[in-house]
Amino acid sequence: MSASLCEHCLLPIQGRGHEHEIDGAAHRFCCYGCSLAYQVHRGHGEEAEAAWLLIRLGAGAFLAMNIMVLSLVLYSGSFEPHEGQLVRGVHVVLWALATAALAILGAPFARNAWLALLEGRATADSLVTLGALGAYGYSAFEVVTGGARVYFDTATMVLVLFTLGRYLEALGRSRASRSLGPLLAAERAKATVVEGGHDIERPARELVPGTIVRVRAGERVPVDGIVVEGRSQCDEAVLTGQREPQAKLPGAPVYGGSINGAGQLLIRARAGAADSRWGLMSRQVREALGRKSLAGALVDRAASVFIPVVALLAAGTVAHWSAQGPFDQALMAGLAVLVVACPCALGLAAPLATALGLGQAAAHGVLVRSGGVLERLARVRTVAFDKTGTLSSGDMRLLALGAAGASEEALLARAAALARGSDHPLAKGIVLAAGGRGLAHPAARDVEVHAGEGLTGVMGGRRVAMGSSGFMARLGLSVPVGLAPDIAEGCSLVCVAWGGRIRGMLALADTPLPEARSVVASLGRLGLIATVLSGDTPGATARASRAVGIDHWRGELSPSEKVKALHDWAARHGPVAMVGDGLNDGPVLAAAGVGVAVGGATDFARESADVTLPEGTLANLPWLIQLARRVRRTILTNIAWALGYNVIALGLATAGLLQPVIAATLMAGSSLLVVVNSLRVGREPRGRPVAAPTCVESQTA
Amino acid sequence: MGEYFLIFAAGVAGSFHCAGMCGGFACVLGTDRRGGQLATVARHLLYNTGRVTTYAFMGALAGALAGALGGQATPAALETAQRTLSLAAATLMILMALQLFGLLQRPHRPWAGRLPGAVGFGGDALVVSLRTLLATPSRFAPLALGVLNGFLPCPLVYGFLAYAASRSLSDPAQGPLTASLIMVAFGLGTFPMMLFIGALAQWLRPLWRRWGVRVAGGFVLAFALVTLARSFVPLSGSGHMPLL
Repeated sequence: MSASLCEHCLLPIQGRGHEHEIDGAAHRFCCYGCSLAYQVHRGHGEEAEAAWLLIRLGAGAFLAMNIMVLSLVLYSGSFEPHEGQLVRGVHVVLWALATAALAILGAPFARNAWLALLEGRATADSLVTLGALGAYGYSAFEVVTGGARVYFDTATMVLVLFTLGRYLEALGRSRASRSLGPLLAAERAKATVVEGGHDIERPARELVPGTIVRVRAGERVPVDGIVVEGRSQCDEAVLTGQREPQAKLPGAPVYGGSINGAGQLLIRARAGAADSRWGLMSRQVREALGRKSLAGALVDRAASVFIPVVALLAAGTVAHWSAQGPFDQALMAGLAVLVVACPCALGLAAPLATALGLGQAAAHGVLVRSGGVLERLARVRTVAFDKTGTLSSGDMRLLALGAAGASEEALLARAAALARGSDHPLAKGIVLAAGGRGLAHPAARDVEVHAGEGLTGVMGGRRVAMGSSGFMARLGLSVPVGLAPDIAEGCSLVCVAWGGRIRGMLALADTPLPEARSVVASLGRLGLIATVLSGDTPGATARASRAVGIDHWRGELSPSEKVKALHDWAARHGPVAMVGDGLNDGPVLAAAGVGVAVGGATDFARESADVTLPEGTLANLPWLIQLARRVRRTILTNIAWALGYNVIALGLATAGLLQPVIAATLMAGSSLLVVVNSLRVGREPRGRPVAAPTCVESQTA
Repeated sequence: MGEYFLIFAAGVAGSFHCAGMCGGFACVLGTDRRGGQLATVARHLLYNTGRVTTYAFMGALAGALAGALGGQATPAALETAQRTLSLAAATLMILMALQLFGLLQRPHRPWAGRLPGAVGFGGDALVVSLRTLLATPSRFAPLALGVLNGFLPCPLVYGFLAYAASRSLSDPAQGPLTASLIMVAFGLGTFPMMLFIGALAQWLRPLWRRWGVRVAGGFVLAFALVTLARSFVPLSGSGHMPLL
């Protein structure tokens, strides 16, 4: 379903990629460079193989350098004309050295080009192979026919530079993706299971709840669990972004992905590895990386057209210049064209920066669904907030009751019975209030949640409904005059009705989130408009909006009205991001340009949001938007560079102004530049993000 | 010919400094007891051949570049360039001599934590590659190691590169040949030290070692001063200036 990822740099593999068998196991990489770098860095088990590649590079460079020295000496005029015999002898030596160098360095490129050719594709490897073979073939021909100038130095140097460039590129990519490593490790994690007094190593995937797992000092905890024995501290940064280790004593919860400190722990697994937040994040990040963004798809198409165009251009260059002058100059010009083209820069423009952006976000506990989400987030002009649970703390307190035709206790008891079926902050507040008064809950059956509006159910044979006045109106009920409690102004009002009449109103108040005000101010500094779309009463909405400094707000909106409001706003002001708690406003979040859910733990409703911020980290929203903008800027500059470079460099090469070796250096430099520019996204940004508070237990409804 | 011998000697002298940085590698190659004495010698030879090839390559490039530029320049510009390069070479050698005297601490990468992305990343790549090559048992690893080591930043190497370039400025045709020969002579000068570093360390008593380093420093300083003097001596017709 999702694209597989390169085992080295963790970027999505495009096309077939590069397959290599190491130590008996098949590995897949996105390119030859990653295969190189992977083997160099794996170290211990595959040292022979890894070092062999570096030796190959070193031996190839050794040969190429010797060829270059001899060629430079030869062609700078150190030899007198009458020493022609000597010159021809040197040519033969060069030929021998070059053959060895070509075999050593060129083999991987040739193999890839051949495999691609069998599939009817052309890759950058095809260009290199074509160029190197062309120069070598021509030079061999010259040696045999006693020509004056050979180009073995060009052919071999080009291969050295390309190999080096690929290797460095891959190193850069892996360094870039390092922040993603711990996140993606969840699926391959191993756990030391204690069974019958023995320690057995098992894949973490296979663990069932209740298994006892040993976590040694410095190891990564494989699953969520509870400490049974031992004392230690755990670094939960990979999940919450919080650098301070959390103390763990028997009975304390531990979370998969966190790193154990100095003490050994025995834990009892509470859930399977796939169900831990770590496992969930791992899956999501992996999917996010695999999803193509719009820019990425366009670039891919451009790259696939690019290579045949370059090949044709090279052929045309050779044809043109051979008519104007000596053939070998024309050949070198054609070689320069083949070699200077940098499709890699185009291909690298988006994925690296995107992966880094996703990794940065994930490192602070923020889950972004795909690179496309980052792109959209960067272009957002407005941020719309839900009120309850987003701008306010979600802890609602019952302030007053107004009853008509029923006792206050009956009113509250019925309300609480229905409210147990909902996760909405209002419902929770009602249940809490009822519990506080020690009221018994009559049983409610057939409870139906009307998202964003209210609840209905059956109690004691009668239908009971609870919700906003708008909801009541849609049920055909009207609010009796004078029912609203006195202090209702600015409160959230919930009507309770049964037997065809509204019997009472509950007034609940919410506390604004302390950081909400500064978040809104930060968004303003970023040039974003903030607005509130709420299903609550206009009074409560106005009060909350003023408290956090938002000027635009609309209250008493049903979910479909919210969606309409979003579309209207987007049509007038540009892309809109919607921030909610992800549980009660799923469809609304989905309708926005970017849906941001603030809330922790594993919850499938939140999973579908474009962005998930851990609970209590609304303050990270401005930081996230800045990150998205940085990624977008980087991608745009990369693309601009890749296009500009290719146009100018190809122009120079076609005009015969570039030497092939210079061209190869430029080409390697160009793709390295893109890599280094993208790496800048990975640096710690200004305006440090806030760490999430310690992992909160997921609330079971 | 005499000039090349002097450069060789300067290489020997300068390599007393190399004992610190590159000597580490040579020591590893030397302490590897596999295959007996012959294999160890073979390893050293491979390593140093790789290194000298890299120097020769750098020299040829510098010579070609200098020659190409020099061929285009006016005599006045040529003279300025030659002086500048000689000055640069002399400065680097003086720095080296001061280090040998112990008057200058070798900068231990004070900028380590603050490297801009590209350079820091390049340094990483180099270090990891070196580490991998050192650890492998393959027969040809020393060759690759030598090639790689030749590119390590070394003031002495750069000093001689500048010197080689200055000598190539005036003679484009001979440029690459002269320059690479200079670098080869220099590289060969460092051969003995690299080959015998292990043995020497045991045999030479500390006092002798300290004095040896000082003598080496003196020699390098002398060479540097002569190079300096050249930059104020007007060009002779053939461009081959007398050394002493």
